[in-house]
Amino acid sequence: MIDVQQLRKQYGDLVAVDDVSFRAEKGSIFGLLGPNGAGKTTTISCISGLLKPTSGRITVSGHDVVTDGPAARRHLGIVPQELALYSDLSAAANLEFWGSAYGVTGEPLRRRVAEVLALIGLADRGKDHTSTFSGGMKRRLNFGCGIVHNPKVLLLDEPTAGVDPQSRVRLLELVREQARAGTTVIYTTHYMEEAQDLCDRIAIVDRGKLLAMGTLDELRRMVGEKDLVRLAGRFDPAAATRALEAVDDVKVLSAAADVLTIATVGASRKLPAIFTTLASAGSDIHETTLSVPSLESLFITLTGRELRE
Amino acid sequence: MRFVLVAAAKDIRRRMADPAALSIWIGLPLLLGGLLSFVSSGASEAPPRARVLLVDQDNTALSALFPTAVRQGNTPIDLEEVALDEGRRRIDAGEATALLVIPAGFQDAVVGTGSARLRLVTNPAERVLPAMVRQMLEVVVEGAFYGRQLFSEPLSRIARSPQSGPAPDADVAAIAVDINQRLTELQGVLLPPVITLSVKTGSGSQPLNFGQLFLPGMLFMAFLFIAQGMSVDVWDEKQEGTLRRLLTTPQSAGRLLLGKLVAGIAVASIVACAGLLGAVALFDLAWSRVPVALLWCAYVCGALLAMLTLLHLFARSQRGSEMLSGVVTFPLMMLGGSFFPFEAMPAWMVAVGRWTPNGLGVTRLKDLLYGDVSATAIGLAAVGIGIPAVLAFVLSWRRLRSFANA
Repeated sequence: MIDVQQLRKQYGDLVAVDDVSFRAEKGSIFGLLGPNGAGKTTTISCISGLLKPTSGRITVSGHDVVTDGPAARRHLGIVPQELALYSDLSAAANLEFWGSAYGVTGEPLRRRVAEVLALIGLADRGKDHTSTFSGGMKRRLNFGCGIVHNPKVLLLDEPTAGVDPQSRVRLLELVREQARAGTTVIYTTHYMEEAQDLCDRIAIVDRGKLLAMGTLDELRRMVGEKDLVRLAGRFDPAAATRALEAVDDVKVLSAAADVLTIATVGASRKLPAIFTTLASAGSDIHETTLSVPSLESLFITLTGRELRE
Repeated sequence: MRFVLVAAAKDIRRRMADPAALSIWIGLPLLLGGLLSFVSSGASEAPPRARVLLVDQDNTALSALFPTAVRQGNTPIDLEEVALDEGRRRIDAGEATALLVIPAGFQDAVVGTGSARLRLVTNPAERVLPAMVRQMLEVVVEGAFYGRQLFSEPLSRIARSPQSGPAPDADVAAIAVDINQRLTELQGVLLPPVITLSVKTGSGSQPLNFGQLFLPGMLFMAFLFIAQGMSVDVWDEKQEGTLRRLLTTPQSAGRLLLGKLVAGIAVASIVACAGLLGAVALFDLAWSRVPVALLWCAYVCGALLAMLTLLHLFARSQRGSEMLSGVVTFPLMMLGGSFFPFEAMPAWMVAVGRWTPNGLGVTRLKDLLYGDVSATAIGLAAVGIGIPAVLAFVLSWRRLRSFANA
C-alpha cells in the first residue's frame, strides 16, 4: 500500500508538484494521467527516493520514504520511463544484478530470474547481450528488472512510451498480472485509453496539481452527460463567447482565435443553432469534431486544453 | 558489503565485455615502454666504458705503474698501450675516448725536482667519458704531488740510483728505512684518520637497467588509464539510466561508489600482478617484494580512481568530463614519472612530479621493488595519497544523487 499526503516539490520558483495526495491499496492499479510536464515523473521520483520532497509525506507499506528510506525502497519496484539496463550484460545478468540490489541472493534469485525471464517471454534469450535485443524486448526486460524482487509496490513511469502495439498489449497484461498477485501498482501515462483500460482508480494531473481523482465511472460522472464540441476556424474569442451565452445549456470551455471548445448536452441537435450564432458573431468554421463524455473531455473540461497539447 | 562485491563483479564483467578498452589500458604503456627502451638502445646493455690509448715514452718503472693502477679497482676505463702514431691515427678517427702521452723524463720529474707535462687528447664526439678520464688523471697527478712532498728524500735516493742493473742492497735498505721513519713521524697526523668515511651500500645497489627504471612508471601509466577509463563509468551509467535506477534501490550511493572502486582495484591488481611477475622473470626481482608492491599498486590505483571519479561528477557533460580527465591525467603521467623515469627528467620536474599522487606512488614502488624503504615512509606516503582520496570519495558520495538527477 502507498500513501501520498500533500506532496509538494519546488525548484526555486517553479512548483513541479503542488499539494498532491492519493492513496493506492494492495492489489490495485492507480493511474496518474496527465500530459508531458504535468508532474507525474516528479511524483514518481519523490516516491522512489530519487528526489526529496519539499514538503508532504509519502509512506510505502508503512515506511516513510524520507525518514526510513532504505526500508521503504526495499518494498518498491521501479520501471522507469527510459530504459535502464546494462547493454553489455546478458538479460539474466541484468535480472540477477537488480535482484541482488534488493537483497535477493542465491538459489531464490536464480529461481526468480528464470521465472521472470519466462514471464516476459525472454526465456530463450536469457544469455544474450541486451544490446542485441529489439526495442520491445528491452522494454519487457526493463519491466522484468522492476519485478524481479517481488516488490509490494510497483511504480511504472510511462512504460509503454514508444513501444510497438504488440509489446504494449503484452506489457499491459504483465501489469494486470502483478496487480492480481497483490502488488500495488502506480501507473503514469498520458495515454487516456491505457488509463481507462488498466486502472482501478485514476488521478488527473496537470501543471503539478491533482485536478480530479476517482474510478473511471466517478470521473465520467464529473463530466456529466455533456458532449464536447471542438470547432476549428477563425474566431473573435470574446465575441464568440458572448454570442454563445445566448444558446441554451452551452458552456464555452476555451476560446482562441483558431479553436473553440464547447460542452453541451445533445450536441448533435444543437449544432445548427451554434453555427448560426457563431456566424452572426463573425466566426468562420472550417472543421467540427464531436466527442461523447470521456476522460479526454473531462481533462479538457478541467484544463481547457487537450491531453496531448 | 555483499552488494559492494556484487556491484564490483558487475563492473568487472562489463569491462570484460569490452576487451578493446582493456587492451588499450595495458597495451599503451607497454608500447610506450618498448619504444622508449628502443630509443634508449635497449634495456640490458652494459654501461658504457672509456677507451684510453696510452703512449709510454718514458718507459720507466714509474710510468709502467700507471696502467696497473688504472686497471685496479672497478674503473670504467679500458686502457690500451699503443705507439704514438697509431694513437694519433685512432683518436683522429674517433676510435677512442682519449689519448694519453707519458713523456720521456716523467719518472725523473716525479722523484726528482724537475717537471714533466702529461698530454691528454680527448675525443670531441664524446662528452661524459672524456671528462671522467680527465678527472681521474687529475687525481693521479695530485697523488703524485703529495707523494713527492712526503717522500722527497727516499725518492731522490731512487733518482740517484744507477739507471741499469739492480740497486745495491745498502741503497734499498736505506730507502726502506727512510720511508719507515717518515711514516712513523706522520703516524700522529695520519692515524687515527681525521675523517672517517662510511660507505653504506644498499641491498639493491646494483645499477638499474632501463627496463627496471621504467617498470614502475609503466605500471602507473596503466593505472592512470584504468582509473580514467573506469571513473568515466559514472557517466556511462547515467546515460544508460542505470544510475538513477540504482539510487531507487535500498543500497546507498556509498556502496555503489565503493563497488566501482573495488572493480577498479581488481583490474589494477591483475595488471600489477602481471607486471610484477614480469619483473621477477626479467629482472630477478625477489619474490618476497611482490606482495607488498602489489598491495601498494592496488591502494594507489584505488586512490587515483576515487579522485578522478569526483572530477567526472562535477563535469557538465560526458564529453566535457572525458576532456577534463584527459587534461588532468596526461600532465600527471608526464610529471609523475610515467612517460619517463624520474632519473631521466629535469630536476625541477622531478621536484614537482614526486609530489603528485602517481609520482609518490612510483617513487615508493621503486623503493619497494629495488631498494630499502621504512614502514614509516610507506605509511606517510599512504596517508599523503589516502587523505585526498577519502575526501574525494566522501564528496562523490554526496554529489552522486544530484549528478544522477541533473
